[in-house]
Amino acid sequence: MALGIAVAGVSCAASCAIADAPRFAYVTNQGSETVSVVDLETFKVTATIPVPGKPAGVAVSPVQDRVYVTCPDTHDVAVIDTKVNAVVVRWPAGKGPLGIAVQPVTGRVFVADWYGTFVRVLDPSGGNVLSEIAVGQSPSGIAISSDSTRALTADRDSDTVSMFGATSGGPKSAVAVGGHPFGMTLSGDGRRAYTANVTSDDVSVIDVAAQAVVATIAVGRRPYAVALSQTRAFVTDQYGGTVSVIDLASLKKTNTIEACDHPEGINYDASRDVVYVACWFDNKLIRIDAETLKITGSVAAGDGPRAFGDFIK
Amino acid sequence: MMRTTLAALALVAAMPLAALAHGPSRQKVVETVEINAPADKVWAVIGNFQDMGWLAPVEKTEGTGGNDAGAKRTLTLKGGAKIDEALTTYKADVKSYSYEITTVDVKVLPVSNYSATLRVTGEGDKSTVEWKGAFYRGYVNNDPPPELSDEAAVKAVTGVYRAGLDGLKAKIEGGK
Repeated sequence: MALGIAVAGVSCAASCAIADAPRFAYVTNQGSETVSVVDLETFKVTATIPVPGKPAGVAVSPVQDRVYVTCPDTHDVAVIDTKVNAVVVRWPAGKGPLGIAVQPVTGRVFVADWYGTFVRVLDPSGGNVLSEIAVGQSPSGIAISSDSTRALTADRDSDTVSMFGATSGGPKSAVAVGGHPFGMTLSGDGRRAYTANVTSDDVSVIDVAAQAVVATIAVGRRPYAVALSQTRAFVTDQYGGTVSVIDLASLKKTNTIEACDHPEGINYDASRDVVYVACWFDNKLIRIDAETLKITGSVAAGDGPRAFGDFIK
Repeated sequence: MMRTTLAALALVAAMPLAALAHGPSRQKVVETVEINAPADKVWAVIGNFQDMGWLAPVEKTEGTGGNDAGAKRTLTLKGGAKIDEALTTYKADVKSYSYEITTVDVKVLPVSNYSATLRVTGEGDKSTVEWKGAFYRGYVNNDPPPELSDEAAVKAVTGVYRAGLDGLKAKIEGGK
């Protein structure tokens, strides 16, 4: 059986890649209080899920048929069952739930409190709080390494990135980055971390093991979040209306893509070699070819799509 | 009136810890006006970042950097209040510029993290001006007072845009 899979994997690179590909995007529409489910093959909306509470942050679960959405207005996390595309339960989550991530192996849900200085870890079986981990002020984006060992937060109001053991909560350290880091992205191998720094208009690149910033790269005005391909970083510039492209080898900005008005959440889809960008003012999700840097698709979302987090599954 | 101002002042003074954060959800306002004039003529009136004189409450525009991205301006309103703004992008080819507010008292305009775009489109002797803004409310935490709520922010910005665009139409069509 194992051999059969291995052989299949070798013999059908393209189609196997599609078989493993994320199937849907789950786009949080903060204004219309819905989540748009976008089929990534057809690039059409296949469902619109009502999610009251001004949904903003999103995290797909790699281990369950679930998408978690933070609702800052109702101070909770809405749990979407992707088999039925409906909210099946809501879990209280402090005063300002915004950034959210799922620990890959355990399925635990990490929620940053925008109005606080900590991350809550929720048990996926019932939403109870397993622990609270102190970080910097106004933690925003959260990233967890693919091996589940390490977690990082972008602490917006202390201009730092906090790093800690994802399971133990410690040992903890903080690295100073640019002004008001918001989006937090970790490379697949967990070696490098990237923050989009809202007020200094740049991206900080952190060597995780060394716990040091190795580069600061100027991007467009008001960057929001970062997505990574194998060779490039893509950064949404909210006020600039652009996506800045950074070459990961040289750590230099190479291109500026005219994207849309207030681009925000951004994810990279390795199987299709594209990035998806939520356009907050234009109420759409666009698709950009990660190689040619051309916009290859656009689909209407609800009002005010943010899609802050990992939104493709 | 006096009471409102004092209440607002007290609230600002008592603003809690997360003073640099902002409210939970960004608001948007889009207003348009149709003007019986060619787009070039309308752009000639509003297309200079260093002159916001077409907006009635603005008494004076002072700034640096012309129409280049990064340019600054300070608007002095009738009554003395000031708003600092910066130019984000300027696209003369499509008659559009985007700017942000860098400093404003929430008693003047109850918003934070405000960005906006003005754009003129048109055909022949008719044009459309679109003014769209993105902003958070003036109160950064949960449970805002009514005058610093999401609704108050949207109402205030809508009022400025509506009055500004209607005034612009009257000014241009009136030939002044």
